[in-house]
Amino acid sequence: MVIQAVHVPESAEAAVTYSARGAWIMGGGTVVMPLVNSGAAPATELVSLRRAGLGGVEVRDGVARIGAAATLAAVGEHPGLSFLRPALRTIASPTLRNQATVGGNLFVAQPYGDLAVCLLALDATCEIAGPDGRRDAPVADVLASGVGSGEVVVAVRAALPGPGVWHYHKAMRRRLNSAAIVTVAAVTRTADGVVTFSRIALGGVAPRPVRAVSAERLLRGRPLTHDVLTEAGEAAHGDIDPFDDAYASAWYRARVLPVHLRRALLP
Amino acid sequence: MPSQIVSLVVNGERREFIAAPGVTLLASLRESLGLTAAKRGCAQGACGTCTVLVDGRPEVACLVAVETVAGRSVRTLEGVAAGGELDEVQNAFVDCFATQCGFCTAGMIMVAEALLDRDPDPSEADVVEAISGNVCRCTGYRPIVIAILEAARRRRGAVSR
Repeated sequence: MVIQAVHVPESAEAAVTYSARGAWIMGGGTVVMPLVNSGAAPATELVSLRRAGLGGVEVRDGVARIGAAATLAAVGEHPGLSFLRPALRTIASPTLRNQATVGGNLFVAQPYGDLAVCLLALDATCEIAGPDGRRDAPVADVLASGVGSGEVVVAVRAALPGPGVWHYHKAMRRRLNSAAIVTVAAVTRTADGVVTFSRIALGGVAPRPVRAVSAERLLRGRPLTHDVLTEAGEAAHGDIDPFDDAYASAWYRARVLPVHLRRALLP
Repeated sequence: MPSQIVSLVVNGERREFIAAPGVTLLASLRESLGLTAAKRGCAQGACGTCTVLVDGRPEVACLVAVETVAGRSVRTLEGVAAGGELDEVQNAFVDCFATQCGFCTAGMIMVAEALLDRDPDPSEADVVEAISGNVCRCTGYRPIVIAILEAARRRRGAVSR
């Protein structure tokens, strides 16, 4: 469709008004603008979040609150979020990270959206503004079913993982700027040599980021050894629904998942 | 919504032009302002040849709806050669044979300018990462990496020409 208006509102509420009227929400434009440029825009009106006051990144009392329009670069540069830096550096190029936003990352098609995989592993909460006011929703729900008509994700909150419990590993075709074959992000705590808690999120292996609940269950009470993790990776086959694309086949993604799950947790 | 007047600070000068809804920063630079250094390659954000600096940071201009950057500062390759004199990066590209067909060059140089503004002494890995969003089909990248490292050296004054 030919674009007839690009709204650039200066508040989240104004963005909601345009969204409720059918305007397509645009964060950094890295997904919407390619469609516009190829004449395949999904709507005739766009609403950009660039000036809506949603670009802030704050870390306070062990909790990060990241505005939906914060760029991936801004997240990576925040001293309180350095644990995410290795993950962010696997996403696109530094140039695109100056444009792509945290909110937008929640709505991109797999095998993109590695930050969303991280946010799922962190069990983040989305702050959503809508025609009926504000609400919070688990990021898992937003990834699974999106938001309602007219709603806009305005921020994401997550508790920071403590030292030594955050794990991230992404298998890709090149060392830089390549989409996921398999992405693994996890928060895993151990005590007395065995796993007491794990939350593992996977990218690249299903139409959206998914939790590896079967692997999480298998790991509980067991040590993080090569064999146990291989077994957990095999169990994770029950949690995935992989696809073929130009990066890898569904068969390959499933085949290498246990290897990369193991490498994520046992570097 | 009809076309509107958009104002940008381009290479230090305030410029105003009429933009149709959804027109890109790239099209505005090339077609409204006559600044054709930034090229239209893929128009999908994948090739980097349209890279310009927005408030000092590299962005692919093909993915920027120009209304969303109204009032901001944009730097293009035309703003690099002040007074027609090539700068260290441009000279290094010439001397190191880092340009062949030239289609990627404007984007490569703008990324290099931003990198060296931020970090005057980048490692080779830093350079490779910085240009990882810029495709070159001629050089095999090696001369470009060498040129950017050489430009950094020259800019630091460690090596005189």
